[in-house]
Amino acid sequence: MFFHMVLERNMQLHPRHFGRDLRDKLVAKLMKDVEGTCSGHHGFVVAITGIDSVGKGLIRDGTGFVTFPVKYQCVVFRPFKGEVLEAVVTMVNKMGFFAEAGPVQIFVSNHLIPDDMEFQPGDIPNYTTADGSVKIQKESEVRLKIIGTRVDATEIFCIGTIKDDFLGVISDPGATS
Amino acid sequence: MSSIEPFNRLVKLAARAFYDDITTKGENQQKIGRSDNRGIAVVILDALTRRQWVREEDLAKDLKLHTKQLRRTLRFFEEEKLITRDHRKETAKGAKIYNAAFAATGDGQQTGREGDDKQKMHTHSYCCLDYAQIYDVVRYRLHRMKKKLRDELESKNTVQEYICPNCSKRYTALDALRLISPYDEYFHCESCNGVLVAESDKLAAQELGDGDDNARRRRHEKIKDMLSKMEVQLKPLTDQLARVKDLAVPEFGSLHAWEARANAAGRSANGDLDANDPSKSSHGFGGTPMPYVGETKVEVAFSGIDEKGETLKSENASIPMKVLPPWMIKEGMNLTKEQRGETRAEITTGGTLTAAKVSDDKTSALANDEEKNIQDEYLKAYYAALLLRQSEQEETMKRQELASATISDEVYDTTTDRLVGMKSKRNEDYEGDDVEWEEAPPTGSTTKQFKVDLNEEAEASEDEDDDDIDWEEG
Repeated sequence: MFFHMVLERNMQLHPRHFGRDLRDKLVAKLMKDVEGTCSGHHGFVVAITGIDSVGKGLIRDGTGFVTFPVKYQCVVFRPFKGEVLEAVVTMVNKMGFFAEAGPVQIFVSNHLIPDDMEFQPGDIPNYTTADGSVKIQKESEVRLKIIGTRVDATEIFCIGTIKDDFLGVISDPGATS
Repeated sequence: MSSIEPFNRLVKLAARAFYDDITTKGENQQKIGRSDNRGIAVVILDALTRRQWVREEDLAKDLKLHTKQLRRTLRFFEEEKLITRDHRKETAKGAKIYNAAFAATGDGQQTGREGDDKQKMHTHSYCCLDYAQIYDVVRYRLHRMKKKLRDELESKNTVQEYICPNCSKRYTALDALRLISPYDEYFHCESCNGVLVAESDKLAAQELGDGDDNARRRRHEKIKDMLSKMEVQLKPLTDQLARVKDLAVPEFGSLHAWEARANAAGRSANGDLDANDPSKSSHGFGGTPMPYVGETKVEVAFSGIDEKGETLKSENASIPMKVLPPWMIKEGMNLTKEQRGETRAEITTGGTLTAAKVSDDKTSALANDEEKNIQDEYLKAYYAALLLRQSEQEETMKRQELASATISDEVYDTTTDRLVGMKSKRNEDYEGDDVEWEEAPPTGSTTKQFKVDLNEEAEASEDEDDDDIDWEEG
């Protein structure tokens, strides 16, 4: 689930950036530092959408670095248990398959794949129904439901299921090729 | 005793459901003796339902089991949180305290208990059922069983578990990212690099031989079958759980507290000539009056004398029960009439002269010997008048009240002459069969009968009540 929220961060800026475009430099550095990171509490920071305020800088003794407290708005993404996501399959193996929904890695074990889908080893490992109409392989897009999350300080990992109504392959690139 | 009955039934059901065949599981290996001793666990649990705190050696002797075997089983039950145990080093004196306490509980199983222990400095172990915990444990166990089966049945919302066959390290699907190997499509153990096996796969393979497509379906069927079977077969247990749900749990407390209580009760009952009456066991049982252990209170409800006796004798006697509000009374509670709030009516209506008077006496709390003498006179008159038309049950009841009066009289020397008189009267009254009389108080049905009888004589007492008040003021 996505959230738009205000976060705060103390930015350290090298003295060489001091000048007319100090603020731009600060924002650029903030984006570089923050976007794409993951905190266990808020989830993945997807994008910074604005700067609320930049506080008074504090010059560090010895280094000359300046610390600015910056308040910024950002979009965060945090997966929740029970949430339904669309994800791209990145790897298929006998144990199930891995998929990515943006920054989040999701594992779907073979127990949570519908019973009528069978693992087919080979060049392109995939899960296929008996009649071959549905195929899950690398690059497939699937809709899945998250049934468990593991949230570490800097990492979020999920397990999902496609063994439920309206879950499974959305579009199958393998079918056209 | 009656309040504990549903709990004992629960224990027995649980014992038969879960501990009947404990030799099968590997983790209960300790149960497998050299011989086939399955069922012992049930026997022991049953035996414990008939006891309170019991020394393990005594229990072993009673069950004709080897102490070691008994201990093993008891330790298992302790791990299962069914019983509480207490170990203490005790001298002869400590053992005596226990013996006295045990005797005071009047369970009828203490035959020859006093003499037979070597009173050295020994560590003795005691054990006792922990009813509150048993209730929780059984419920939790059922919950886990159901959850496991349901989860497996739906096989959704379950986090797959993987197990390393080599080092039996366990992983969940949440660890999957760390476990994938770049070389093949299996998960590998982090520590020994063995190929991990999905846990339920392993189970299925064990049970059904092959892991092909049908296996999963068959397993599904099997689990469904198990679940329905479980629900049917454990129905009595779940019913019993539901019945017990609203009851207050019998609590024996720690060994020490129990001993103290039981001894106190025993002492109070010792002077009683008809010593085996249920008041004894109720004291030993509850110590502090529990709202539902009501045998003494039954006596109270019938006769004023008993109430008076209790107020006079403050030490061991339970204070008269409060009337429970109707919303507190639930199905299955074993309440005395007094607790249900019916006593008041009983005393005023069914209460013959004496009963009403004495209850008032109790409330005034100013009872002294003269009053008692007057009461005695009333009593005698009352008895003489009612002697002919009273039913047998009433007579037994009366005897009971007299019995309890003797308890109180024992404490106060001043009333001894009354005691003598009462006793003689009781003797001339009616010497019915003791057995029936002893059984009468705890059961609800008989108390109801009493009540009916008393109500029949209700009209007589109305003006006498007024009398009564005058008399008190005088």
